[in-house]
Amino acid sequence: MNPRGGWALIQSTWLSWLQYRSFFFLLAFMWMIPPLIYLLVWSTAAGGQTVGGLSRGEFVAYYLTLILVNQLTYAQTNWTVGDLIREGRMNTLLLRPLAPLYDTLASELAGKIVYMIFIIPAVALLALLLKPEWHATWGTGLLFVPTLLLAWALRFFWGYWLALLAFWSTRADGLLALQDALIFLLAGMVAPVALLPGPMQSAAILLPFRYMIGFPVEVLTGQLSAGELWLGFAAQVVWLLVALTLSAAVWRGGIRRYAAIGG
Amino acid sequence: MTEPSIFVRDLTKTYHVPQRDPGLRASLRSLVRPSHLDVDAVRSVSFTIQPGEMVGFIGPNGAGKTTTLKMLSGLLFPTRGEAHVLGYVPWRRQAGYLRQISMVLGNKSQMLWDIPPLDTFRVLGEIYSVPPADFQRTLDELVALLEMEALLTRPVRNLSLGERMKCELVAGLLHHPRVLFLDEPTLGLDVSVQARLRRFLVEYNRRSGITVLLTSHYMADVAALCPRLLLIHQGALLYDGELNGLARRLAPFKLIRLSLGEGVDGPALPAGVETITREDGSLTLRVGRDAASAITAQLLNTLPVLDLTVEDPPLEAVIDQIYQEGTL
Repeated sequence: MNPRGGWALIQSTWLSWLQYRSFFFLLAFMWMIPPLIYLLVWSTAAGGQTVGGLSRGEFVAYYLTLILVNQLTYAQTNWTVGDLIREGRMNTLLLRPLAPLYDTLASELAGKIVYMIFIIPAVALLALLLKPEWHATWGTGLLFVPTLLLAWALRFFWGYWLALLAFWSTRADGLLALQDALIFLLAGMVAPVALLPGPMQSAAILLPFRYMIGFPVEVLTGQLSAGELWLGFAAQVVWLLVALTLSAAVWRGGIRRYAAIGG
Repeated sequence: MTEPSIFVRDLTKTYHVPQRDPGLRASLRSLVRPSHLDVDAVRSVSFTIQPGEMVGFIGPNGAGKTTTLKMLSGLLFPTRGEAHVLGYVPWRRQAGYLRQISMVLGNKSQMLWDIPPLDTFRVLGEIYSVPPADFQRTLDELVALLEMEALLTRPVRNLSLGERMKCELVAGLLHHPRVLFLDEPTLGLDVSVQARLRRFLVEYNRRSGITVLLTSHYMADVAALCPRLLLIHQGALLYDGELNGLARRLAPFKLIRLSLGEGVDGPALPAGVETITREDGSLTLRVGRDAASAITAQLLNTLPVLDLTVEDPPLEAVIDQIYQEGTL
């Protein structure tokens, strides 16, 4: 472990990416579109009444928070780890006395900073136009921070072990696309989890995807009872442990295979 | 006797590669029952390199050079055999080992493409925990040796191939490695940049005492840098020794080029001389290495010689002969 090395990596990645800020702004804009569409759909459907207990303004608050959380937890490096392996660039990283994971984490953090430069003003502007009804309190705000961090870690490491399957298959990207589809359906994107039909809702509560996006949004918008909150928190921790274990195991096996067959 | 920098014994790497015949039917069959082929990339290679040595590692494409370097730098597990570099087993990839070695690849870059080299150098300095004062001194020294002050602040993608190679060398040497693996450092570079890099490597080796194992297809690299040569062919080590020794063993003859005055037609030549070319008054003769001086004297005494040179056969021709025949 070498914090100064890690920090230097973050800075340099950030410098690289600032060269392409317009490209990253475009990506951030693209990722904003689906939740924005559902924001408009649900707030129109609610009209002057409520749908599933949520009013128009509450839907706006939910989706604006979701746009932020989605950007902050989106692990774009999951898509690039496979390239490192396929193109043999992993060799350069393996020659350094610093685990390649740090390089990936550095890109991840650098990316967040670049995206936030775009997304925070964009959400603020939408908030001015669409008049959300926030019920956030100091309490929910305090709880939101750890759930957001856990959500990011869970989403990152869940994608990381999938991405590392590139050690065995040149087409591991398909699994990442599947993960994105499941997130779209079950993480509170297409509709808040509370509004999903029975079996889908049960799946959402059991599977890890809601804990990557929907759960922290529900925490901040004050939709959850104390019991639901602690259960959700526990689910985040358990799924994160699963993701970490899988990542470590796939990494070890992958490196052994890489070292056996060559990059 | 000091402990060797690199010790390799019976190092062997066998790749297990999938294979199938062309065509749809074969591709379907390979889905159900994939077949594999064992390919020996490196076969029982042994050698020892002392601290401060610069050793050339040559062989045709696919001979096993890069596979050997990858095992020594810890990127590949061997199938069999042992290796110790600086006392470490490379493929355990301990941080203490990685901090003391460097591998520079002519065809792979570790520079960050979009930002100036100085930024990449700083990151590497931090990754290898080089103290700031030490970092600056090393950087200044390397930059001066390679004459590249002007490149430091331009984005890497705007640099030429030769300029980028200079950056790769700096990046690889900032942490004062004790062993340097160089894989075709002069690939694709023009003659003067090649010469510049060679001068740099000789000078750096002299100053720092670094051990260098270098692969190259340019015999000029090897001739200029490496007193000692390892020649590998089809995974097996064919030769380990001096460059001149290799030439002597393979081509036990010298070439004599003669210019004779006008009107000397079909001169009488001493015994044991083979004529290679003959045009106008110029002759190229091949003679046994041991007889060369006697025959030269005889030629000068008996013929109206205007000019005479004695040469070794071109190195490339010698090497080509081994690559083609696969034996010494």
